[in-house]
Amino acid sequence: MNILTRLIAATMLSLPAMTAGALAQDPAPSSRLTVTFDKIAEPTGQIMFVVFDSEEAFDRGGKPVRAIVVPVDAASETTIIEGLPAGRYGIKAFHDIDSDGKMSSNPYGMPTEPFAFSNNAVGNMGPAKWADAAFDVRGAVTHSIAF
Amino acid sequence: MQPDRRQLLQSLIAAAAAGAVITPDRALAGAAPADWTVGVADVEGDIAPQAMRRIGGRAPVDFGGSLYRNGPAKFRRGTSAAGHWFDGDGMMRRFAVNDGAATLTARFADTPKRRLETSLNRIVIPGFGTAQGEGARMNNNDDANSANTSVMMLGGELLALWEGGSAVRMDPDDLATIGFKTFRRDLKHMPFSAHPRVEPDGTVWNFGGGGSNAGLWRIAADGTLRDWTNIKLPRRSYFHDFSMTARHIIIVLQPWLQEAFAFPLSTAMKWRPEQGTQIMVIDKDDLTRQRIYELPAFAAFHYGDGWEESDGTIRFDGCLEADPTFGQTAASALLRGEHIRSPQPTLTQIVLHPGGNASMLSTGIAAEFPVSDRRLAGYRRRLTTHVTGYRDTPFPHAIAAWDWQRGRDDRYDFGSHQLVEEFQYVPGRSADEREGWLIGTTLNMTANATELHLLRADAVARGPVASWRANVALPIAFHGTFVGA
Repeated sequence: MNILTRLIAATMLSLPAMTAGALAQDPAPSSRLTVTFDKIAEPTGQIMFVVFDSEEAFDRGGKPVRAIVVPVDAASETTIIEGLPAGRYGIKAFHDIDSDGKMSSNPYGMPTEPFAFSNNAVGNMGPAKWADAAFDVRGAVTHSIAF
Repeated sequence: MQPDRRQLLQSLIAAAAAGAVITPDRALAGAAPADWTVGVADVEGDIAPQAMRRIGGRAPVDFGGSLYRNGPAKFRRGTSAAGHWFDGDGMMRRFAVNDGAATLTARFADTPKRRLETSLNRIVIPGFGTAQGEGARMNNNDDANSANTSVMMLGGELLALWEGGSAVRMDPDDLATIGFKTFRRDLKHMPFSAHPRVEPDGTVWNFGGGGSNAGLWRIAADGTLRDWTNIKLPRRSYFHDFSMTARHIIIVLQPWLQEAFAFPLSTAMKWRPEQGTQIMVIDKDDLTRQRIYELPAFAAFHYGDGWEESDGTIRFDGCLEADPTFGQTAASALLRGEHIRSPQPTLTQIVLHPGGNASMLSTGIAAEFPVSDRRLAGYRRRLTTHVTGYRDTPFPHAIAAWDWQRGRDDRYDFGSHQLVEEFQYVPGRSADEREGWLIGTTLNMTANATELHLLRADAVARGPVASWRANVALPIAFHGTFVGA
């Protein structure tokens, strides 16, 4: 059953390397997205997440429109994203428990830090798909993601 | 009768028979003697603690403790079924003996696999011989974990073991599932196999993984991880168990080789007897010191503890088969009610000579599920307890203790109406391994009930000194452990 481990690892979710930093800021701020992360098992480290605005970017490794880091010191954390143009978005997130800026994995490449997607979408041997993870942002929107 | 009508009737009868095989309530009906398929029937839910009825003999007053046994007990959902005996949901059973009375409790390990398949009412998670179904969700190997193969008590924790993922923690009293065991954060989800070996001082060694790599776990008796080391293997052999002496780890690399990444896993493994069997011996004190021995091809699932002699000769036993037909096809056919005959597993001593040669000494005795006195793990011993008495069903009917010194099998046959499971060795009052006990279970097809039996290790042929019967028939389980009171 050892193949199983490697089979899954080989096709396992590849969150893009994420760094906190400025990405393209939209010139016409129009929405306010409040993202709440729940069921955080260990109140330490940080949550790193990226926001995508297209299926192409979300499903095929394109660039996110935002990359955000939220410090964690409770079982639930909230952050507010201003200035997203109205539209459909998808989020990929992981809890960087050891704050090393990377999604840690075990020696066979299996992720060891919790990850989650918008709509609490779940993938199978890979990240969730845009079709399941995309949600609308128009005006003031609150979106909850559980780890 | 017209031929086509006869054919139609025959196919209807065959369909009805197939339906009977996969109908769990048939196993519980009790109206007529069950056939061997009761051994792979489904259990629909947890078994609340129940007193077992004493049906013979009497347990010694000072004998007490819990026999934990683990095995698959749910194979079919809706119109779907697991493709292999090894892929059913694990059910932990606890047979507690106290003051001559016995009780049974049994609970399924509450795994992500079981939760998902329950919600879908469909078998969808792939496994050893099961294909992936629609609706499968796996984001790590523990999403496929059936926690169905063995059990150990480690540092006060009861662990249900599988071989492709983490151990599952369960409450030792009520068998409630606590969650996956992570020995160290960076080793989360790393495979922890179902065949750990335990030194007399309680130090645990286990492997996990495979293919071209095996992780080697070393854990202190209190459950603290000492280290985990990746070992490069010379071939992608499938192995389910390993052996160990006081100084060496022994990994048998049978020529049943993983040649592809595919589900079910068994379809990705090919039997290459022309490549022979390799035996890798690793120095426990320096894991980089490794030797390879060569033997003609054999297949095996299970080995016993080994020992070494003063000149460096290593001896260990295994239940060797001419080829892996059982794992490849026969164990799948069981779930369809078919008995495919496969090569007899034969108790064999493998001898690794200091000069680099290896040889095999066959006892000629049919044997599986080898067990021995854990106080002697890694050191010379006399006895290997094993199931035997394979006849008309896929399951054995007898229990025996092979004496390596006398070259004799001390055996008790429970009869053709009884399917015999692995027995555990329990030390007696003295250090002499012959003064111990054998405790284990059978599935009585006439009574349609699971039974618990206690035998003397030095008088197996005399039969049980005490027997108890449950009011439920549980399917055949794989491995167990005994925890003294």
